[in-house]
Amino acid sequence: MFLAAFSPKESDEVSRDATLVHKLLRRDVNAFEEIYERHSRIVYSLVLRILRQGSTAEEVVQDVFLQLWRNSGQYDAHRGPFIPWLLTLARNRALDQLRLKGERQRRREDQTEQLPQIAAAAPEYERALDEKRRAERVRSLMNTLPTPQKKAIELAYFDGLSHSEIAAALNEPLGTVKSWIRNGLLRLKEGLQATS
Amino acid sequence: MSDHDQFRELIQGYALGALDAQERAAADAHLASGCSECSKALEEARWLVSQLAYLAPGAEPSEMLKDRLLQTVRAEAGGAAPGAGNRRAAIPWWIWAGVAALLVFSLHSAWSARKLQDEIGILRAQTERQTQERARLQQEMVAVKVQAHEAMIWSDPKSVKISLPAKDPKMPQLEAMWHPEMGIVVRGWKMPSLREKRVLQLWLIPKKAGGKPMPSMTFWPDADGKFTAMVENPPEVMSDTQALAITEEPVGGSAQPTSTLMWVGGVS
Repeated sequence: MFLAAFSPKESDEVSRDATLVHKLLRRDVNAFEEIYERHSRIVYSLVLRILRQGSTAEEVVQDVFLQLWRNSGQYDAHRGPFIPWLLTLARNRALDQLRLKGERQRRREDQTEQLPQIAAAAPEYERALDEKRRAERVRSLMNTLPTPQKKAIELAYFDGLSHSEIAAALNEPLGTVKSWIRNGLLRLKEGLQATS
Repeated sequence: MSDHDQFRELIQGYALGALDAQERAAADAHLASGCSECSKALEEARWLVSQLAYLAPGAEPSEMLKDRLLQTVRAEAGGAAPGAGNRRAAIPWWIWAGVAALLVFSLHSAWSARKLQDEIGILRAQTERQTQERARLQQEMVAVKVQAHEAMIWSDPKSVKISLPAKDPKMPQLEAMWHPEMGIVVRGWKMPSLREKRVLQLWLIPKKAGGKPMPSMTFWPDADGKFTAMVENPPEVMSDTQALAITEEPVGGSAQPTSTLMWVGGVS
């Protein structure tokens, strides 16, 4: 069922990332250029959304791809797909930069160079969607949520706020905010599963 | 509610990094206990959270960013990408040219310095030889001048010849010539060798009753037993001198004779 869930073309796309990252270990500049062409747009979009400043966002994106180039061994294809790993790296770097700029002072304890393990066995819906379709599907699913619930999730993800800080920002009870975030992500998960 | 159940409630917030410190500590403790079910659920929650990136409005980074990155990466790759051929040299040709020029300049400088050192060594040796030669010539000139002066004293009619017989009959007789203006010359032949650290010293014995001997120069015979000693400025005039005498004294001479008068010759 797992293999049957994605088409030959999409399967090739996922394995292509793993192949390219493996080539980085041999200092293959062409492989790096191809990875950049494939993923720089989503990485830059994410970082720009967090930092809201083009020049700073480009500096962070540069750091992210240079870290990939210099420490490609940190990514283990057996521990999960490449693009969620890269996006997690980019988000952590961007939130670090946000705090450095003094816009956010809260200490983040899970910001590390060693990224957390992403799903070792990627969900079926991970491979069933290409990037464009996935973006459309995620936006569509999130738009089905009530605006405050969507806003709470966005404050947590793009601004790095804690439950308490979101509750204060939205002037809502802490328990309500926790439920919004938990239930909203579960609905997103169900929606992506349904897509596959 | 058990730790397990509590963590499952917090897992989405944990994956987002949105837990407060106390909740996060509790979640960390549960994960550290080795709950594999929760660890797997957390991995999936993290993947789900990463999908939120697609909510960001689409944007394109500048071409300059790509150029900067590729420039850095190519430089770090050591010149050429594997399988890419020689697309761009890591080090520009002009740097290699500069290195080559610097190397040639360094070698030339080292060669020039070595050559200069050799030339300085040759000049220094030549200067040393010339100095030695000049000193030798000066010694010869002095010797010639002394010999000429001695010859003049010895041959001038104004000079007075003084014989100095030895008190010891085994010793040779010495001779002296005293010129009123040019000084005294004393000569000897077949002289025995002197004891170590001993020299001969000339004395002028005054006519004045009770007058002490006037010390004059010291000298010693050469390896053939010959000597010639000249006093250009005697300490006493001839008319006031009764006799010349020679004693054996320590090196450096004495103010008054410390041994018996070995040779004595009256001044007529």
